[in-house]
Order: sequence, then structure tokens, then C-alpha cells
Amino acid sequence: MTSYRLPQGGRINRAAPQNFNFDGRSYQGFEGDTLASALLANGVQLFGRSFKYHRPRGLVGAGSEEPNALISVTRGPGRFTPNLRATSIEVYNGLMATSQNRWPSLRFDFGAINDRLGMFFPAGFYNKTFMWPRSFWEKLYEPAIRRMAGLGHPPTEDDPDHYSATYAHCDLLIIGAGPAGIDAALEAAGTKKRVILIDEQNEAGGGALADPCLWAWLERSLQALADAPNVTLLTRTTAFGYFHDNFIGAVERLTDHRAETDHGPREKLWRIRAGEVILAQGAIERPLVFDGNDTPGVMLASAAKTFAVRYGVAVGHSAAVMTSHDSGWRDAFLLKQSGVGIAAIIDVRSEVAIPLQDQAAALGIPVRLGQSIIGVTGRHAVQSIEIAANDGTGRTTLPCDAVLMAGGWTPTVHLWSHSKGSLDWREDIGAFVPARAAEKVRCVGACAGNWDFGSGLTIDVLPTPKDPRRIKAFVDFQNDVTAKDIRLAVQEGFRSIEHIKRYTTNGMATDQGKTSNLNGLQIASTALARPVPDIGLTTFRPPYTPQTFGALAGHAKGALFQPTRKTNIDSWAEENGAVFELVAQWRRARYFPKPGEDMHAAVNRECRAVRSSVGIFDASTLGKIEVVGPDAAEFLNRMYTNPWKSLEPGRCRYGLLLKEDGFITDDGVSARLAEDRFHLTTTTGGAARVLNMMEDYLQTEWPDLNVWLTSTTEHYAVIALQGPMARQLLEPLVEGIDLSASAFPHMAVREGTICGIPTRLFRVSFTGELGFEINIPSAYGRAVWERLMAEGQKFNITPYGTEAMHVLRAEKGFIIVGQDTDGTVTPFDAGLDWAVGKKKADFVGKRSLARPDLVASGRKQLVGLFTDDPNMVLEEGAQIVADPNQPVPMTMIGHVTSSYWSETLGRSIALALVAGGHDMMGQKIYVPMPDKTHVATVRSMTFYDAEGARLHV
Amino acid sequence: MSDLLTRREPIPAEAFTGNQVVIRAAPVMARFSLRARNVADISAVLGVEAPAKIGATAHGVACLGPDEWMYRVAPDAPPPVASGTLVAVTDISHRNTAIVVEGPRAAEVLSAGCPLDLTKFDIGRATRTIFETVEIIVEREASDRFHVEVWRSFAPWLWTAITQVAAE
Repeated sequence: MTSYRLPQGGRINRAAPQNFNFDGRSYQGFEGDTLASALLANGVQLFGRSFKYHRPRGLVGAGSEEPNALISVTRGPGRFTPNLRATSIEVYNGLMATSQNRWPSLRFDFGAINDRLGMFFPAGFYNKTFMWPRSFWEKLYEPAIRRMAGLGHPPTEDDPDHYSATYAHCDLLIIGAGPAGIDAALEAAGTKKRVILIDEQNEAGGGALADPCLWAWLERSLQALADAPNVTLLTRTTAFGYFHDNFIGAVERLTDHRAETDHGPREKLWRIRAGEVILAQGAIERPLVFDGNDTPGVMLASAAKTFAVRYGVAVGHSAAVMTSHDSGWRDAFLLKQSGVGIAAIIDVRSEVAIPLQDQAAALGIPVRLGQSIIGVTGRHAVQSIEIAANDGTGRTTLPCDAVLMAGGWTPTVHLWSHSKGSLDWREDIGAFVPARAAEKVRCVGACAGNWDFGSGLTIDVLPTPKDPRRIKAFVDFQNDVTAKDIRLAVQEGFRSIEHIKRYTTNGMATDQGKTSNLNGLQIASTALARPVPDIGLTTFRPPYTPQTFGALAGHAKGALFQPTRKTNIDSWAEENGAVFELVAQWRRARYFPKPGEDMHAAVNRECRAVRSSVGIFDASTLGKIEVVGPDAAEFLNRMYTNPWKSLEPGRCRYGLLLKEDGFITDDGVSARLAEDRFHLTTTTGGAARVLNMMEDYLQTEWPDLNVWLTSTTEHYAVIALQGPMARQLLEPLVEGIDLSASAFPHMAVREGTICGIPTRLFRVSFTGELGFEINIPSAYGRAVWERLMAEGQKFNITPYGTEAMHVLRAEKGFIIVGQDTDGTVTPFDAGLDWAVGKKKADFVGKRSLARPDLVASGRKQLVGLFTDDPNMVLEEGAQIVADPNQPVPMTMIGHVTSSYWSETLGRSIALALVAGGHDMMGQKIYVPMPDKTHVATVRSMTFYDAEGARLHV
Repeated sequence: MSDLLTRREPIPAEAFTGNQVVIRAAPVMARFSLRARNVADISAVLGVEAPAKIGATAHGVACLGPDEWMYRVAPDAPPPVASGTLVAVTDISHRNTAIVVEGPRAAEVLSAGCPLDLTKFDIGRATRTIFETVEIIVEREASDRFHVEVWRSFAPWLWTAITQVAAE
């Protein structure tokens, strides 16, 4: 077996070897190994290159706090995940892992030139250096910097995996299944509470997994929890965020640890609402800051213990322990007992508890008190260390192949901070601990600062006789921030940790400073000569560890990305070759090309059919609201600009809806069916918004009105029949309605049946032709449509789509809210003065219409345009100027809102918003475009049948 | 209604059978949205005692809000008549369609996208809620059966979502 696997021990299954690949080389590990432990066992210490200086890096930790060993894993096409921590990747047969941020190879990396030039890359270097010229930033500096400094590459292919999601509810959620979390769960196991216990690792146990004395207890406890029907244990599950009202987001990893990929969802998003939360997230050991502390082989003592005890791997044959805390001694003892050679225990403290010293002596471990490491030799692995007494004397060299740092402990308060709980500084442990809760939550165990690791000294940087400006003592390994950088930030005037953090990027990497925040604070505290609590602590934000976008999206991909709403008639359109467009969430037929037709040919044909015979159009998506109650007319009268009380049952009216600011927000034709019942229509996209707005007014402004609103958009399929032959086509199919012009005039509504189906038949027109809109219960939409198509063959009935509808309405100068208006257009601007009731006492927006700027001259007003060149169809959105010869930048006086080829007129037409447009009739305006400047004449918006003769037939 | 013309429904007629759960279209029914200030007015119009408590159901009537009830009845039943009263009746038979989720995993499948605590959702209770982004009305008809109302154009999405979860 390999040289670093201990002969016995660990929780790995030595009977189940797993073959895997790292950077193109094959290795073997065991079931239960992480990539980190398996590579260590194979003697690999170099795991990656650092972000900025491309320095060789090895493992620091053994868990999700690992800042250095970021790895990409490939699981076949589309299954590429960058930036995974080697300490959290479980080894399986066939695992393909690669290191990152190096070229051409991990051992030989060109980018390491940055390290040699490191003195030129101080904190804030990019901000200071690449300021000028500004235009170089996006094209040159940023891409170059991004290539050099970086993490893994983003995946480039579609992700073939699918992701699950669920909501869950419990009375007690325990986050962290270490001893404290398990104890809390056991306590609740006998109750009626629904308990969920989650842990990010592949097995529950937390710190107990690295303590063989607790394994028997762990096994008993987990069995008891498995037997408790009220407890659910989720492993491989990371609680990544704590949101309001005890709402916790967690991601469960389901398949990434398996060799095979086709095994159901890859991950599952748990959205948990908890009655009470217990945080048992534990604590993370703190690195020590000294020159060369980022050399591969320098790691946390607790990590080395975990590798030895849990995975049966020695991090070295002769490890030096550098400690400021009793826990380093204990870890050294356990390592020694596990078969890992300890070269020395070096403690920065001069006095250490006698029992610890006695035990070291008993185990034959040399001890050096009041001394510190001042340098590390070795580039890709530790070869030796230099030690000096704290006063700088007695420099000696000690050969070793690993350095274990024990700088004390930092409670993991990330989720506590998400929940907005406050923190108190505890001087005795040199750490922030949870204080006052903002939710129903408490912390237990090490994350509350309660541990039995012994005592220690909190120290910012280990004493060194070297020039502090010439050493590389790292604080944030992932973002390459050194103690010097933090001092520089202070020197340059930064005082708050929030500013120091942003200037140096300390704690801003993907690990959110799990190992660096407190050391950074201590250094700033010393440099500023102010206590740590005065400098503050930066805010932790979700996610606790990086999560995949797939997990956050859950089921919302592919067909479930978002609903595509289809009408009952949509299937007919699809079968008949319609080209679709999306309007809000609706899919609508845009045009129906015949073989060989492009869009323009199809739209021209559709327009001709409507003007000459009859066209049929699926208008089902129009918003519909049933307004019912004795005060229905009063309510509409207050909402719309025009009068509604006088509207007789059986008649329709165009309604214009403003917001309180006086600007048009929606429009539509609505019908009075009875004294107390109206059938409103809204724009397709405005349906939900208009109903909400009306409900808002009804509930908050006029709760006294006896009127109720119900959305009926989807109850009715709506078929528009438009064209001179519409009546003739309808007549044989309709019963109970006299369709004659005198009995059923334009802007009227009747109820009867069509093809035996009850209908609300509107005589309305958005085309300027004789037209009907047939409302029938939705399920019959397609059946009635097909009957009309069959019956209409003799009139050459032509289905038309939204594009022809747009052209036909533009020929009549009918606006589309949202296209010809933009939220700043008043009824007067749009030429809809006639739709505003001058005698009405009030309506929504009325007072705003009298505001000085809304009645001022020079407002942008909607007008028609004829281009000088009749074949020129202007671009919608094109800007308009009064004088094309003025210097650039020109004064823009408006823009084109709608522009089409009008087959009916045999020329182009356009609508435009132009400043003072109503007073410019007949004047020339100019539309500068890249190829040439087009000239157009301002005219009326009504291009066709201005007198409305075609409607009233 | 006409025998000549056929209805066209947005979700499959065949049931979907997943792991311990069956999902199927609910039978065609008539639905009315009833709005009033007083439950007594609703009871008077329907001729049955309508539930007064929000979330309660009785006699095919679900109280969905302080002034809102939903009445479900066989498709050929006469519609409620309320003219001259302070009850607003609106036919929404075709606006909604419904999916029945039944089986031991029914609550679990709905919980995939519905934020309600369904273990505390009593039999006979109905409420408006959401499944992910889509508005639904859930009624628990039995411990292992839920009736889910949804607007017609959202039904295919909901069907796909629920059956996908059921198949997981």
C-alpha cells in the first residue's frame, strides 16, 4: 500500500478500493475516502494554485472550510463542476478530478511569475493600476486579469441532470449532526415534535468522526435516531441560508458521490419552515499567520487529526506542530498514537499546562515553548522549518514534512448571522459568539463557544525577527491576502473592517473567510491599536458554501422553466403551421405562412383577407374580468376615464384606464350585460395587473361599494371574426341573436348560442372592419373554431395572427398600450381626449391630468407618419429629430412606436411619439439611421377609413 | 350543450401512476365563484348551509376568503340564481380544471411545490395557495386524496410538474 496510508484505523472500508483519476494520473483510495484523504494517502500534497499569485497550495482543512484545494470534477458530457473542495468530494470508482488555475500543469505553472513579482501586486493593486485609460478596462485589462487570476472554468454545455425540490415543515430543525446536534436530536426523539437533523457530510457525527472514543456512542445514538419515527436525518445536506421566520434553505446531494450518473435527481432543494432551530455547526480551527504558512503540507492540526483518525492517512512522517492552543497538543498526542511521527510541538506560549508537557514527554515528543516558526523551506512540499524564540534569538532549522497549525477556534456563526442574531466578543477565546437571537433559534456546542479544547492564546501574527514587509504570511489563502496587505490597508486609511475587507478582499472568496476572518480582524486590531469589537465583523451572507444553480432552480428547467400558457385553439394553430410568439406567458400565433411564404407575404395575405372577405383570429388571451354587483357601474365610472353609468345593458364601450399619475396603463372594450353585470376586457399582458389594481382600489378606497371582481380570462375562448363577410358567415351558426345591423349595432353585445354552445357575442372591431368577437366556454374553443373554418370556406376564411392584427389596427390608428405608450403617455398625448369624461367629478388619474407638466406644451404626442419613400418601413424604436443637419449629439424629439408595411394602402405607415406632434401636422421630421436619414411627414394616426364607414354596416 | 361539439381538455384523460401515487384529471364539473358580504346570503342563494369559516367546505361549497366562496356542482345542474340579491355569481366552470392526487405519497408530492404544511391540513379543508409559481386551490378530500384546482392554461405545466415529482 502507499506510504502515507496508516496500517490500521479510520472509518474507510479497506475492502472496497476505489480507482480514480486526478490530473490525468490514476490513484486508488477506499470507500469512505474524500479526494483529499485519498490523494494524501498517495503522497500528493500539491492540490492547486492560488488565485492571485499562483502559489502552489495544499490542503489547509479537512472539511467544507477548505480554502485551497479547489477541484473540478467531470462526470461526462455536461456534467462538469468547478470549484469543489477536495475535502468534500467523495471518492468513487471512475472519479475524474482536475486541479485548477494553472497552466500548463499543476507542478509547472507559468502564472507563478505573479508570485515572483508579488511585491508589485499589493492590496488594491488592480484598482490603482488599471484605472487609466478607462476604455482599456473592458477590452484589455479585465479579460487579461480574469485569465490569470481565477478559479475553475464555468461549464459550457447544457446540464443533463435534473434537480428536485420540496418544502418541508418541522417543529425542530437541528443543523449539524456532531455530538451537540445529535444530543439535541436525542433529547427531542422522545417527544411528539417533528425533528429534522441535517449535516453536510456523508455521515453524521461531525467532530466525533475524528474521535474513536466516541464511535460506540455515535453508533448507538444514530441507531436511536433511526428508530425514532419523529426524526428525519439528512446527510450530504448543506443548510446554505437562514431566511426570515425560520425558513431555511438546504441542498441535499443525491448522486455526486456515486459512480453511476443515471440515478434520479442530482440534488434536492429543501425549503424548510421550522418551529425552532438549533444550530450545532461546530467551530473551525484557526490557522496561524507566519512566513510560508501556505506551503503545501502546512495545515490545521485538527485536519491532520481527522485525516489520521477518520481516514487512516498520515499527513506526513514527521510533522511539526505549531500551536498557540492546548488543542494542538492533544491533536499531536492523538496523531502520535495513531502512528504519525511528530517532530516537535512548538508553542508560542512560554507557559503551558504541566500535564500536557508531561504527556508530550511520555510520548517522546520534543517540545519548544515560547518559540515560533519564522519560515518554511520547500515549494511544493514542506522540507524544513526555521524556528526562533519569540525575542528573535536562537534561530534553528528543523527538518519535517508537515506543519500543523493550532491557532485556536472560531465558532461557526454563519447561519446565526443570516438569521440576524447578534454577536458578542469573548476575549477569553478571541472569538465572536452568538448573543441575542432574532428568530426562534439557539446555538449549542462549539458554535456557541462551548468546547473542551482547553485554553489558548489569541495572536495575530507569530513573532518573527524577519522584516515584516519582506515575508509572505497568509491570512486568506483563497484570495491570497497576507498580513502585510491588511496592514497596508490600515496604513492607507481604512478603519472599518467592512472597508478593509473590500480593499484587501480578505474573506471575500468562495469560502467567505471561514479560516481568515478572525485572523484578519486581529491583525487590523493590532495595526489600529483598537479592540476587535470596535472594528466590527463583516456580515455573513448565504450561501454557507457555494451551491449549484441547478439545485436552486429545482424543477424549474426545460418544460417546467415557466408555464407556457396556451389557448384551447392553440393546438389547431400548431397543426396548421402557425409561427408563434410569446406575449406575457401566453404563446400566440403570430402568422400562418403557407408553403413558400415568408412573414411579410403571409401577413399581407392575411390583411387582404380581412379587408376583402373575412379573417378569423384567436383572441382568447385577452384579459377578462366579470364585474358584478349593484355598484358595478359606479365602480367602473370611478376607475375608467369615460362615463359608464349611462351605458345601457347590451352595449359596449371602450374603456381607458389610467394610473394615479394620469398615464395610460390599460385599455379594452367592455360590455354591460345587465344592470349589475359587466364583462370587462383588458390587454393580454395587463390582465393580472388590472385585476390587482381594481381589487386594490375596491378593498382600500371604496370598501363600501357592493361590487365584486372575478377573473374570467380563462373561462372563455374568444374567436374574432373580422371582415365584410363576417355576418354572413355567422348567421347560419348563431341562434337566439338577431345579427342584423339595426338589431345588433357596432359596440353591442348579445347572448345566445353558436353551434349550440352558449355565447356572449360582441360586435366589436380592432381592425376597422365589420367584426364579431365570439366568447364561448373555453373547452369548446377549438370545436367552434373548426366549425367556423369549415363554414367559412365559401368566403375563403383566413386565419390571421397577431402580426396582421397589429397592422390592421395601426391602419386605423388604434393604439396598443405598452407599444405606443410607455407609461408616460396621457390620454391627450395619445389623441384619446374623446375617451375622457369632461363632466366626470372624478376618476383614477383625473387630478394628475391637471398637473402643470401634463398640460404643458411640447409633450410627446402620438401622431401618424408617412415616409417620403412609401416603400421605406421605419424601424420601431428609431429616434426622430427636427433638423438632420444639427451637430451630433442631436436633440431627439421622439421615436417611432409602431411601423408596418400596409398592404391595404400599398405603402408604409408608422406611429410615433413626437414632442408637440399634434401641432406639427404636415411638417417634415427626420429619422437618422446608420445607412441614411429618412424623411417623413407628420399626419393623422388614422390611415384608413377615417369616417368609419366600414364599421357601421 | 351540443352533442356535436367535443370538449378539449388541457390535461391527459389517462391517469398517471407513479410511485405510490395516482394523478388524474378530475371529472368535468360546473364551478361558480360566489361573492357576498354575508355567508347567510350565500346559503339563501344555494339553498344549503354554506361554510362560514375560511378554509371550510360543505355541500360542494368552499369558503376561500372573507367574501369568497367556490361552488362546485355537476355540469348539468342548474346554475345558482342570484339576481336581485347581494351575491355575485360568476361562472368559472371552464376557467379552472382540476387534478386529483391520490395515494400514500399524495401529500409528499404536493409538498414538492406547495409551501403549506399539509400534515396539518385537515380533511375537508380547502385553500388557495401556490405550486411553485402557479396559483392553485387545494382541497383535501381524504387523508390520501387531494383535489387541486388550477386555471386552465396553467394545467399542463402543473400536470408535468406533479407527475415529474411523482415519478422521482
